[in-house]
Parts: sequence; structure tokens; C-alpha cells
Amino acid sequence: MNFLESVLQVENLRKLYGKFEALKGVSFEVKKGEVFALIGPNGAGKTTTLRIIATLLTPSDGKITFVGKDLRKESDFVRENISYLPEEAGAYKNMRGIDYLRFMATFYAKDQRELDEFLERAKQICRLGDRLKDKVGTYSKGMTRKLLLARALMTKPALAILDEPTSGLDVINALEIREIIREYVKEGTSVLLSSHNMLEIEFLSDRVALINQGKILETGTSEELKERYNAKNLEEVFRRVVQ
Amino acid sequence: MNKFLNLLNKEIRELVTFQLIFSLIFTLILFNFMGSITKSEMKKAIETKDIYVLDLDKSSISKELLSNLSLANFKVKLLNDLISKEDKDIALDFAKKEKINFVVVIPKDFGSMVSKFQPIEVEIYSFIRGFSLSSNVGSAVLEQVINAMNRYMSDMFIKSKLPEIDPENLKNPIKKKEFVIVKDKIAEGSTSDVLNSIYSQTVFIPIILMIIIMYTSQMVLSAIAMEKQDKTLETLLTVPISRRQIVIAKMMGAGIVGIISAGIYMYGYRSFMDGVTGGIGVSSSTSDIIQKLGLNFTPYGYTLFGISLFLAILCGLALSTILGVLAEDLKSAQSMSLPLIFLVMIPYFISLFSDINTLSLPVRLLIMAIPFSHPFIASREILLGNYNIVFIGILYMLIVFVALIIISARIFATDRILTMKIRFVRKKTI
Repeated sequence: MNFLESVLQVENLRKLYGKFEALKGVSFEVKKGEVFALIGPNGAGKTTTLRIIATLLTPSDGKITFVGKDLRKESDFVRENISYLPEEAGAYKNMRGIDYLRFMATFYAKDQRELDEFLERAKQICRLGDRLKDKVGTYSKGMTRKLLLARALMTKPALAILDEPTSGLDVINALEIREIIREYVKEGTSVLLSSHNMLEIEFLSDRVALINQGKILETGTSEELKERYNAKNLEEVFRRVVQ
Repeated sequence: MNKFLNLLNKEIRELVTFQLIFSLIFTLILFNFMGSITKSEMKKAIETKDIYVLDLDKSSISKELLSNLSLANFKVKLLNDLISKEDKDIALDFAKKEKINFVVVIPKDFGSMVSKFQPIEVEIYSFIRGFSLSSNVGSAVLEQVINAMNRYMSDMFIKSKLPEIDPENLKNPIKKKEFVIVKDKIAEGSTSDVLNSIYSQTVFIPIILMIIIMYTSQMVLSAIAMEKQDKTLETLLTVPISRRQIVIAKMMGAGIVGIISAGIYMYGYRSFMDGVTGGIGVSSSTSDIIQKLGLNFTPYGYTLFGISLFLAILCGLALSTILGVLAEDLKSAQSMSLPLIFLVMIPYFISLFSDINTLSLPVRLLIMAIPFSHPFIASREILLGNYNIVFIGILYMLIVFVALIIISARIFATDRILTMKIRFVRKKTI
């Protein structure tokens, strides 16, 4: 697949937590309709990068351009056109599933018709059926994750930021989540995801960036990287890049 | 689509849980139940008492004394007519059987001893069958019986010896005429009556203030801590709504639910206290004196007090918002609320047991530096017409609120909302 138009450009991103430098000049680009993955071990800087792009954290230095607009100056525009699914996200336990989706959709919908559209789409994505009428507190971890993923994708955002989307899920639920992501990005949404599950990345992403200790070490498609490092899979690529 | 209303609606719905509704209804029912029980006990205690008397003397003096007791709100029942033989033991057995509470035994030589000005003992038997409020108040009735008897007897003697003098003038030759002065107003009346009446009417104010401020503050603290604990805060912060609106919606939601809950709680408490005081109102004469002295809340006073309370609530909400950000979860939020509880409890206790004006200057300044002290101070100073200190308090709370809101809005607008935290429990190490 050819991706021409750039949705997100990250240039020389740095982030300091006191004296600790979590990001040391991260640069990458996500193109329209592309699934771009950041892979790396725990503490590599994946979540910090995603949180900065999601406007949760402010960068210490560097430039981020989202659909041609400066992220720092146009944070309201960015929030309207992205959706972020944090790694350990939860939903309001006292709300019914459908009410949670309606609550979140109201922030994005311009009118009732659009709100109904978002809800219909969310129902299709999460596949929770009648369980949507139950309170979120009664959901399993997998069901909650599907609900949250539906929330992230229902508005057809220009960029969906998914931090470890299958973290802590069993094999079946993880597989279903991956299928949902694959299916719904076909409609034009770009995805920036992070994971330390290399197999998941190979299955989902169009391009990957290997990140370690706050630095991007390599960028390319899975095939390109495997070929470049003469490796059987991304795990081997990562080990060789780090060494 | 109104994003702010959507958020406010969610905040209120999150706070109004089944547990909250249940606890409010339960509190209301409990207070009402306790109030009605106390009321009926108090009623029992103050109603006309049956006094059972065994008159072994049956002289004209003893008969006159008993008829006089009837005039003093006692219902005298002669045991002589109810038992087979005029004997003390038989009378007491009868009282036991019939569950009579008080028995008065007038001895045989009562009339002759009294006529000779010799002291004589009247035996009073009181049966304890419980430890309720009415039993306790009932024992005071016995004292009243003796007092009434003594009063009657001494009046009778004075009249017989000095028929031209009113016994009352002889016993209490000095009469008092009491005046109360408040600022430039003066009224004739008893100081203690006025103070008691003001106290009974304003005793609820510090309790109401404390509950409202603590309730609303705890609500917003829990609301933010819950967002952190349930991992919903990060998502909420990325939706297209300004951080300022998120803070305001949280504070407004907590404020609305907190005030309504505190109101319901106080309604219940009031009905309980009405039971305790027996719903006794202020006598019209005392009420006139209070009116004359201007010791009542005027509409202007109420408005000032309302503003003072409202600003204290806002300060509490803003401070709790900051504390909520520092908390990691609901458990640590409880620890976080401790400084807030102290700040409210200090003026609460001082207002109950002391007067801020009588404290030393450093302590007074310290108390006044606590924003929550000002509605407590205002509730008293408004009654006395000292508005300047109320205005200063309002201005001070406004400044504190603006400062706190700027701080909390800044925290919400920066990384600190996610990175600021204080842990009270050390992480376990393996």
C-alpha cells in the first residue's frame, strides 16, 4: 500500500522529567491510513511519546505537526481529531456501556444525527450486543477493552493512538482486538500504536520504529527490517539493533 | 451539543450512587425515628405527674398541703383509699404491684410537729424501672414536690405570724430589674434568657457549616481520585473540552450534590434535635427583646452569611481539587482530606466553645487565616451588627479562592495532573 499524505510529523522530540531525559530527540512520521508502531521494552519512551502526541504531556523540545498544524498551538484542533486509548484505561463503572459511549460521543458529535452515527458504529466495533445495557462495572477485562476501543474508533479520528491495545488480555480477546483494529483502519484512520509484543506488531503494522532508551534506533516495514538485519522476526531484529 | 452540560451531568450521575441515596434515606429515617422517640420520652418527662400519697396524719394541715400540691401541677392520689390498711409496707407493696413511680408518706405527727415549728421528715419512695430520659427527669419532680411543700408551709407560717405582710416580700425583699444592652440598643429582660434563646437558635449553624464544607470538599476529592483510580482521567483529558471546564464541572457537580446531601442530612438532624428540645420555641417576651436588640438575622444579614458560606464552599472545593490531584486513588484521597478536615474542625470547635474575639492576637490571626473560619465568625458577628469583619472575611475568601482556582487550573493544564502524586504507603519491596 502506498501512503503519501502525512498525518503526523514528529521532529526531534525531547522530554525531561526533572533531570531524567525520557526522550532524546525522537523523530518519525505517520501517513494517512497507515498503522505505525512504536516497539521497544518497558521504559523505552513509547508511552511518553504517545502521551505528548495526545496532548496530555508537554514536550521539553521538538516539533509535532498534526495534519499541517502545530500541536502546541492548536491543541483543541488536535483533540477534536485524534483519539487516545491509554494502556491501562478504564471506563466509568457506574455507567452502562451504551451510556459511556454516548457520553464520549457527545464531545465529538456536531448534532444528534452524527451522535447516532457514532453510537451505531461503536456498537458494530465492540460487538457487545445486549451487554451494552449493563453497567461497565460488570464487564470482563476483554469486554472493557473492546468498549474502549470502540470509543476510540467510533468517531473516525484522523489519528488513533493506541497504547498497548492488547495488554493483559487473553489470546482470544487479543486476537479479536487486533482484527477490529485491522478492519476499522481501512476506513482511512491512521493508527499510531505501541507494543512490546513483536508478533502483534508484525500482524498489525505497516511500518515500525524501534525505540530504546528514548531514541528511535530503526524505522521501516517489518520485511525491510528483517531483511536489513537478516533476522527471522522482529524480536531478533530488535536484539541485533540494541546490541 | 453542550459539552459542558454533558460533563456536568456525568459528574452528578457519578456522585449520586445507590449507596449515597440509600445512606441519605437511612440517615433521614434514623434521625426522624430517634427524634420521635426522644420527643415522646421528653413529653412523658414534662407532663403532669401522678403523686401517690399515703397520709398517715390526716390532719387539716396535711390535707391543705395535699390540695395545694394539686394546684402546683401534681395529680395527688391518696393511697389511703386504695389499700386495705393504712400501712407503709402495704402501700409500698401496692405501688410495686401497680407500677407506681413515686410514693409520698406523710407521717403520723406531721400536723402537730409542723404547728410547733419542729422539723419533720416526709418519706418519698421512688421506683427506678428504667434508665430513660423520662426516668431521670422524673426524679427532678420529687425535688419539686418537696420545694412546693416547703414553700407552702413557710408561706402559711409567715401569714399566721405576720398577716399584714406578703410572705413573698419577706422572703425576697430585693427585686431585680434586668436590662440588656447591645451596641446602642437597650431592652428590659434577662441576659441569660436572651443568650439561651440566641444559642438555641444558632446552635445548628456551626454544625451545618462544618457538614456542608466537609461534604462538598470530600465529594470533589473523591471524584478526582476516582478518575485516577479507575484510569478514566487520561481519556477524559484528551477529549475536546478545555481543562478549565473539566475542573469547573467537577467542582460544580460536587458542589450541587454536596449541598443537597448536606441539606437532607441537616433536615434529619434538625428533626432529631427538635425531638431533644421537645420543639420548645422561644417565648414571645424573649422574642420581643431579641427583636428590640436587633439580635436576629435580617434579609441583609442572611445574604451576607450566604455569600460567606458560598465562598467557603468554593475555597473547600478548590483546595480539594488540588488535594485530589495529589491523591493516587480513593484510599490516599482519604488521607489527603485530613488537612482539610483539620482546617474546618479548628473554627468549628472554637465557635462551639469559645469566642474568637477573646483569643490572643496571634491565635486570632491564625484562625482568621483559615478561610473556613469566616462563615463561623460571620454567623455571630452578623447578629451583633459587626459587618466590617464579615466584609473582610468575604474579601479574604475571594482572594484565597481565586488563588486556589488559578493553581488548580494550572495543575490541570500541565503535566502535573498526571505526574504529581504523594504516596502515603510505601511500595512493598520483595
